[in-house]
Amino acid sequence: MAGAAQVLSDDSRVSKLDRALLQLETFFALLSGLAVFALMVLAVISVAGRNFFNAPLPGYVDWIEQAMPLIAFLGIAYVQRNGGHIRMDILVGALKGRALYLVEWITTFAILILMALLVWGTWAHFLRSFDFAAPMWSRDSSMDIALPLWPAKLLAPVAFGVLCLRLVLQLWAYGVAFLRNDPQPVAVPLVVDAATQAAMEAEHVSSRED
Amino acid sequence: MEPIDIGLAVTGGLLVLVVLGMRVAFAAGLAGLVGLIWIFWSKKNYGGGDFLWALTVATKTAGQVPHSKVSSQALSLIPTFILIGYLAYYAGLTKALFEAAKRWIAWVPGGLAVATVFATAGFAAVSGASVATSAVFARIAIPEMLKIGYDKRFAAGVVAAGGTLASLIPPSAILVIYAIIVEQDVGKLLLAGFIPGAFSALIYGLLIVTLALSLKNFGPPVSGFTWRERFAALPPALPIVFVVVTIIFFVYNPFGGDAWGTPTEGGAIGAFVVFLMALWRGMRWSEFKDALLETAKLSVMIFTIIWGVLIYVRFLGFADLPGAFADWITSLTMSPMLILVCILLAYAVLGMFMDAIGMLLLTLPVVYPAVMALNGGEFVSAEESTFGMSGPMCAIWFGILVVKMAEFCLITPPIGLNCFVVAGVRDDLSVQDVFKGVTPFFIADAITIALLVAFPWIVLWLPSQV
Repeated sequence: MAGAAQVLSDDSRVSKLDRALLQLETFFALLSGLAVFALMVLAVISVAGRNFFNAPLPGYVDWIEQAMPLIAFLGIAYVQRNGGHIRMDILVGALKGRALYLVEWITTFAILILMALLVWGTWAHFLRSFDFAAPMWSRDSSMDIALPLWPAKLLAPVAFGVLCLRLVLQLWAYGVAFLRNDPQPVAVPLVVDAATQAAMEAEHVSSRED
Repeated sequence: MEPIDIGLAVTGGLLVLVVLGMRVAFAAGLAGLVGLIWIFWSKKNYGGGDFLWALTVATKTAGQVPHSKVSSQALSLIPTFILIGYLAYYAGLTKALFEAAKRWIAWVPGGLAVATVFATAGFAAVSGASVATSAVFARIAIPEMLKIGYDKRFAAGVVAAGGTLASLIPPSAILVIYAIIVEQDVGKLLLAGFIPGAFSALIYGLLIVTLALSLKNFGPPVSGFTWRERFAALPPALPIVFVVVTIIFFVYNPFGGDAWGTPTEGGAIGAFVVFLMALWRGMRWSEFKDALLETAKLSVMIFTIIWGVLIYVRFLGFADLPGAFADWITSLTMSPMLILVCILLAYAVLGMFMDAIGMLLLTLPVVYPAVMALNGGEFVSAEESTFGMSGPMCAIWFGILVVKMAEFCLITPPIGLNCFVVAGVRDDLSVQDVFKGVTPFFIADAITIALLVAFPWIVLWLPSQV
């Protein structure tokens, strides 16, 4: 589940960096949340305009398509920080200590390889539509009202870049935990079993019911 | 190696990564990227200087996927539905719904439990979150049921099972995801979920009434509400009905004529109403911010799996693994219906170890074409098909079945999360207690699924009206 995670912190340098990066990640995630809200407002204006004022919102679909990368990419590092990306934890849930940190290090490193390559791949995708010489620096544009596409395309390498920073930090933290055989590793999401996870989920939702 | 062998090797590698605990989205993306590199390189006979070329081409191919695949209007439904869910907590809907359900239906035998099922189902549908719904209703409904003498295990079972009704009744993010992965009409799938979802709730209700009539010492009915009290309880619960109805009307107008708009707009209007309701109930900025962050978190998580899996799908296309799997499935001598049942059972097993969204996205690219082939192909007519339904209808039917299967797993041991969460909220209940209490619903679900398999028209009637 996305809601449940636990990241410990202390006075070490890696933990300080973790919290510093978290601020940027939280800001990005909040932008992504605001984009969802904007999407909603846009649709309400569009429906109201069409039905009550006989004035459909021009380029409605174009705006949605431009907002989607904002929603889809920006929070990616925030979710990784909190251990929110889905995984199967039947094996890692059974591991402890060094064995656990080793496996976590390997899978995190695998993610870093992928994301580093994708920063390159998505950057190339962005470059194909970006041109300083062209009007609005744009070589391609959306169907209806001709919005330039490059800003939305740029979001992918930017967000993936932040994720790469996060992954390097997690590799560092897992490395430290492995060397020290630390029972309470900092700056990485802890593996929780189904019961704890459920309890945290319950805690989270009930706090807002009252 | 032939492309198909590369496909098998990479898919094997993907499974290893997933079992090792690598985040599913990235495991799929990496498998897809490595597969693409491998396939391109093999075309050049693995020449030493060609690796860099293969790497470049594969990376650029994969690099197009995230932006081009997420920039779609249909996908915008997902964050909107999620936003509805998180705002719903602040709109005071849970207690209002329970109160309304209690006043209207608690007079039947086993009434309070029936009321709980319908209230839970209603809130689950709108919030889209099975586990969270069970957690909330464990606090609201279980104490009331215990007060009038219900068995605590049964009371816990009711709440745990009620939460599973989240993902069929619109708005359903998981059905949107399914529709996008298999490239079918989102609106029709949303519509198709309504009757099976309501049907499941009805079966739960009937089960409780039957138990109440046949068992002694069951909680008594609750009656004595005046009509004035009943109607007074309705307005605060209305937004729930409004959200469900709006989304349906924006897909399909039952009074004839055009639908009112697109599903995206329907979802947004629903979110807007819940937002106003939450504001009216005094939602503060910090709470709103929390809802936005949670929405972003869940949306990003889902989108990451979507593009990750789509990179893998891009590779699968080159390797033609789905085609080979479909050929193999159709060459089996078992009856197609038996194969379909086996596939569904496999999902039940898989769902015990993995989150529904991850499980569906990871398996559908290979399993879905096979199921379509089993029915006679994507464009088969109803007359010539194996299951007696056209290709698109089969896609809808199968979608509803797998989503129902995935929900089913939330109340099955060993890691039925809904049961864990209810036990987590109540100190006086162990997980074993909840699993025991949920057993009747487990059986009811098995019956529901059997009925949906045996009588596909329960699923297909509504979408075929469009």
